[in-house]
Amino acid sequence: MRTFPLLLLFVTALAGARAATIAELFPARLKSVVAVEFLVQTEIERRPVVVLGTVADANGTIILPGSAIAPQLAPAQLKDFKVYRPGTSEPFTAEYLGQDPFTGWHFLRVEEKARALLTPITAFPAAATEPALGEELWGIGLRNKDEDFAPYLQLGNVGMITRLPQKTAILTADVAGPGLPVFNARGEFAGLALNSFGQNFLLFSRAQNGVPILLVNVDESSIALLAEEVLPNLGRIPHAISGRPVAWLGAYGLQPMDPAVAKFLHLEHQSGVVVSDIMEGSPAALAGLKERDIILAVDGRPFPHLKPDRVLVVYLGQQVLRRRPGDVLALTVRRGTEQLEVKVTLGEEPKMVREADRQYFERLGLTVREFLYNDSIAHRIKPADGRGVVVHFVKPNSPAATAGLRPDDWVREIDGVEMKTYADATKKLAAIEADKSRAEFVMLVSRGGETSVLRVKLN
Amino acid sequence: MRLLLAGLFFATLLPAASAAMSRGFNRLLNAVVRIDVREVTFDEGTKRLEAGVGSGVIISDDGLILTNAHVADPHAVEISVTLASLERVSARLVGWDHWTDLALIRLDLADVKKRGLSFTHAEFGDSDALYPGQTVYAVGTPHGLTRTVTRGIISNKSRYFEDSRGVRGYETGAFNTWLQTDAAINPGNSGGPLVTEDGLVIGINSRTYIGAENLGFAIPSRVARRVAAELVKQGRVTRSYIGLVPGFLRDLETFYSLASNTGMLINSVDPGSPAARAGLRASDILLALNGVKVDGRFPEQLPPIQNTIANLPVGSRVKLSVKRGAQLLDFTVVTEKLESRVGEEWAFESWGLTVRKVSRTYARENQLPDDTGVIVLGVQPGYPAAESGIARGDIITKAANTAITDLAELRKIYDAYTAHPEPLLIEAQRNRRISLYIFKP
Repeated sequence: MRTFPLLLLFVTALAGARAATIAELFPARLKSVVAVEFLVQTEIERRPVVVLGTVADANGTIILPGSAIAPQLAPAQLKDFKVYRPGTSEPFTAEYLGQDPFTGWHFLRVEEKARALLTPITAFPAAATEPALGEELWGIGLRNKDEDFAPYLQLGNVGMITRLPQKTAILTADVAGPGLPVFNARGEFAGLALNSFGQNFLLFSRAQNGVPILLVNVDESSIALLAEEVLPNLGRIPHAISGRPVAWLGAYGLQPMDPAVAKFLHLEHQSGVVVSDIMEGSPAALAGLKERDIILAVDGRPFPHLKPDRVLVVYLGQQVLRRRPGDVLALTVRRGTEQLEVKVTLGEEPKMVREADRQYFERLGLTVREFLYNDSIAHRIKPADGRGVVVHFVKPNSPAATAGLRPDDWVREIDGVEMKTYADATKKLAAIEADKSRAEFVMLVSRGGETSVLRVKLN
Repeated sequence: MRLLLAGLFFATLLPAASAAMSRGFNRLLNAVVRIDVREVTFDEGTKRLEAGVGSGVIISDDGLILTNAHVADPHAVEISVTLASLERVSARLVGWDHWTDLALIRLDLADVKKRGLSFTHAEFGDSDALYPGQTVYAVGTPHGLTRTVTRGIISNKSRYFEDSRGVRGYETGAFNTWLQTDAAINPGNSGGPLVTEDGLVIGINSRTYIGAENLGFAIPSRVARRVAAELVKQGRVTRSYIGLVPGFLRDLETFYSLASNTGMLINSVDPGSPAARAGLRASDILLALNGVKVDGRFPEQLPPIQNTIANLPVGSRVKLSVKRGAQLLDFTVVTEKLESRVGEEWAFESWGLTVRKVSRTYARENQLPDDTGVIVLGVQPGYPAAESGIARGDIITKAANTAITDLAELRKIYDAYTAHPEPLLIEAQRNRRISLYIFKP
């Protein structure tokens, strides 16, 4: 916001006048805030990660933002979850429960003895209405581990409220660490801070004048999901660590319809999503949805007016993910000049990368994983033609790396033999790995539609 | 001591050689020209003119000049030649061949005659007879410095490199090897001759490693003479294509249980190409072409094999003998005409849109179902294309519900639009995502 410096002065003055109140509210609300540390185990390293979480209920459930864990990481790679209360260095252990597909949140459960020291966010009254424009909200930031995650106050005023597609407040200043709650002046729960948006700056240096750059504050955020969008979802604790069941439509390459196009097609004041690609055998295909269909409504409700246009695609995705496999989704579709209704019975999302079987071959320097349904989309083949394995990881400077192998390469043959299954490939690679007299082996690899021979030199 | 002796040896030899070379070398100097080219580019949503400087060598008394394809190409609208006498004469393009980075232009002889100008033409030498270490000279216009002579030796006679975008985005290098020299070659030397001490043209200087020192490359005269003859005859070089991408076999003979110096690895097969349709696969070993054995052990052996295929008449049947695992198989492939990835380009000024036709090759490389569509090269801010949200790299597949199978189709729609401007529905794809746009007057 352009008025930022002025507003900040104003806010500081106001906060000064009311400091006693926030000071009173602060300690109790601090108990619903934690820092979470865990280890990510990869083929060649263990990497500690620190994120922030909010206490969701009295059973020690903690939610973390979706971005806290990279999507390709298997749950087995996430180790030693530890929960720290702000300003302490004594950790409590916690268990990872999985990711909710609709909110994207990751759920943890902290050990019993910590629970008495924590207060769920639901213990505080929720703001009855959405915050007014200009209303002051506040939240908590946490310093790094070397400062015992010391808490500090952050304040900001509501600059706008928009649908992305959830109701979201954009504030004039950073109000909380991403993943932590935001309160109003009365101490009511007003929202949950999301990851901050990028901000445009010009970079001046001795060599360059005014180079545009995008900066993102990763420790603090000025964006908050409103309480009414948070509270109904706190109970979406995954039943399985996989996060399943996950509803699946099977239409890909969704693109928002440009308003000018809507007008041209006499669909004024309607929003729509163009379908680019329907995967064979998917629920969308079975229901008769076609490429180039323009989806205009879900269950008879026209799409809301959302900006920027691409938010509409997120909205449609969420309409699917908030349902369960087996539910029916009625789509109103424009096909050419016709308008028709397509009833899709949602399926179960095919196996995801984080669920795929995988194996690391240390001497060769690569990890391969199963060929997944989604790989057939990337390689533009029919799902039934997906054989062999996909490269998941290539160790730097290893024989595989020297040979030019890259992650996401599709391995189709090894030593001239077609790899029909994951088991074929891992067996073959294990034999090569074990054979110390082997000088080299050859793989047939597809990348971006091109299939070529790669020779891997061992020793 | 031995070094000194060697020096002495050359010192006694040199004067005799110099005397012999002066006549031939002078003749050569009089045949080298500077070429100034203005050409159209289609990069930013409109036609723009770009100027460049290169070199060339006159090879016939009817004014044919050999230069690089990256100096003079079909986008050139004005070619101006500066003769050794420093007189300027205009020229026009006879033909070009980006695969070998060669182009042929012809002086405006009527003008030459009218103004009473004269020139000499250079003689070709035999590039096959060169030896590493032989002294050679590069003549040309580096960085616009007209008539610069630099000296070096032949560093390597058959260097291989293929570059899929080497000549202004066009493919080059698949069908010939290159002479490598340490004679200084800089931007602007392009198209100038590499000559022996007696002034015989043994190469056309073409490229250098920017940032490296004394690594220059020239197209051998054997290739240049053949291509020039084709260009005079037909204005282009027609080649055959079957879709094999070769790899060298070095170190893999044992793996494939082959006798040494036999076979060429088929590294990949272009999807949808004649070879793919015939059933050839990556990792097959090509043993013989029409019964003639091939040897692709080293990279520099690959261009001659590719050239053998390219030289077959388009539409001819070629027998490929292949080893697959332990099997020996024969395939018959019908050749197609070789096409560049780069299609025809066009500017639609009122839309502020420049495009390039999707070629068969482009479609193959990008896994498009066919060659329908045009690629957006650029959009001009504030014009209908840019306003609609379409961007560089999008592929326009439909306009006004008509599939854009060729450029003429879109030109027709454009003409109708300029005659009666009305909102126009455009369908475009990017990474297989379909989007709709409206061009509004």
